[in-house]
Amino acid sequence: MRAYWAFTKKELLESICTYKLLILGCIFLMFGFMNPFIAKITPELVKSFMPGGISIDLPAPSAADSWMQFFKNVPQMGLVVLAILFSGMMAGEIQKGTLILMVTKGLSRTAVLCSKFTVAVLLWTVSYAVCTGVTYGYTVYFWKTKDIDHLMPALLGVWLFGVLLLASDLLGSVISKSSYSSLLFTGIMVAVMFLLNIVPRIRKFNPMRLVSEPYGLITGALKTSDFSRSFLMTGVLLLILLVLSGIAFQKKQL
Amino acid sequence: MNELMEYMPFLIPVIILELVLMVTALVHVVRHPDYRFGNRIFWILIVMFIQFLGPVVYFVFGRGDE
Repeated sequence: MRAYWAFTKKELLESICTYKLLILGCIFLMFGFMNPFIAKITPELVKSFMPGGISIDLPAPSAADSWMQFFKNVPQMGLVVLAILFSGMMAGEIQKGTLILMVTKGLSRTAVLCSKFTVAVLLWTVSYAVCTGVTYGYTVYFWKTKDIDHLMPALLGVWLFGVLLLASDLLGSVISKSSYSSLLFTGIMVAVMFLLNIVPRIRKFNPMRLVSEPYGLITGALKTSDFSRSFLMTGVLLLILLVLSGIAFQKKQL
Repeated sequence: MNELMEYMPFLIPVIILELVLMVTALVHVVRHPDYRFGNRIFWILIVMFIQFLGPVVYFVFGRGDE
């Protein structure tokens, strides 16, 4: 346990020194500001792009529009940045050979793996919380409404999908030698989920649903119970990925 | 002008964030002359003129190992 804490501390320090924390923080903070801003400015933009004489009636932007932007930007751009940033989680250390010394001195490989994953999840959680907080604050400030239906499960779904991406980054990083192939691994996994989304039967179980349809929850088109299978499936997949990376890392030559 | 004032609460923090990212990346580019690819001028241009993505791309792909 002591080894785990020590290594986690080292990982946290490393994420500061490699500017990971800064990048994640800035990007997600920016998303937090942009979501309500885009929601607010869109009708103005459309109006100014319309040729003279034509007028269309656009409904005034609402608080739900702001969250719609959130559930569009964070899964699309935010998760891509997340997957790219953490693609080199293991590969960097394996390439440089910095782990050899510590492992031969008795640091357990499981502790290494757990620390890496803990720090990744921690950074993702913090930046996601900051982004959500800023969007929430501005939405309340501009639209004066606090009650958005089913906001919590929708937010939780995107968060869980982010954790799943990190786990697949971890596995990809353990079984391959470079950060690019680990990114490829995550990319292929997401692509497969996208393809499976076409089949209506599988769709209900697909983790992809957590990021592709959370807006349905807010508009009330979908119920929380519609997502329970996706949540379950994501949890199972997450466990499988983690166990696989644990097994693969035990056998990996450092 | 009135509209611009209304958007100020969004614009100021976004501009500050962009500046923070740009300055950190710029300082890093100038101080560390080893890049994985590209040269100093190339990275300075990227960091300064591509908003948000420029510094991120530099830190993720361009930063050389120390």
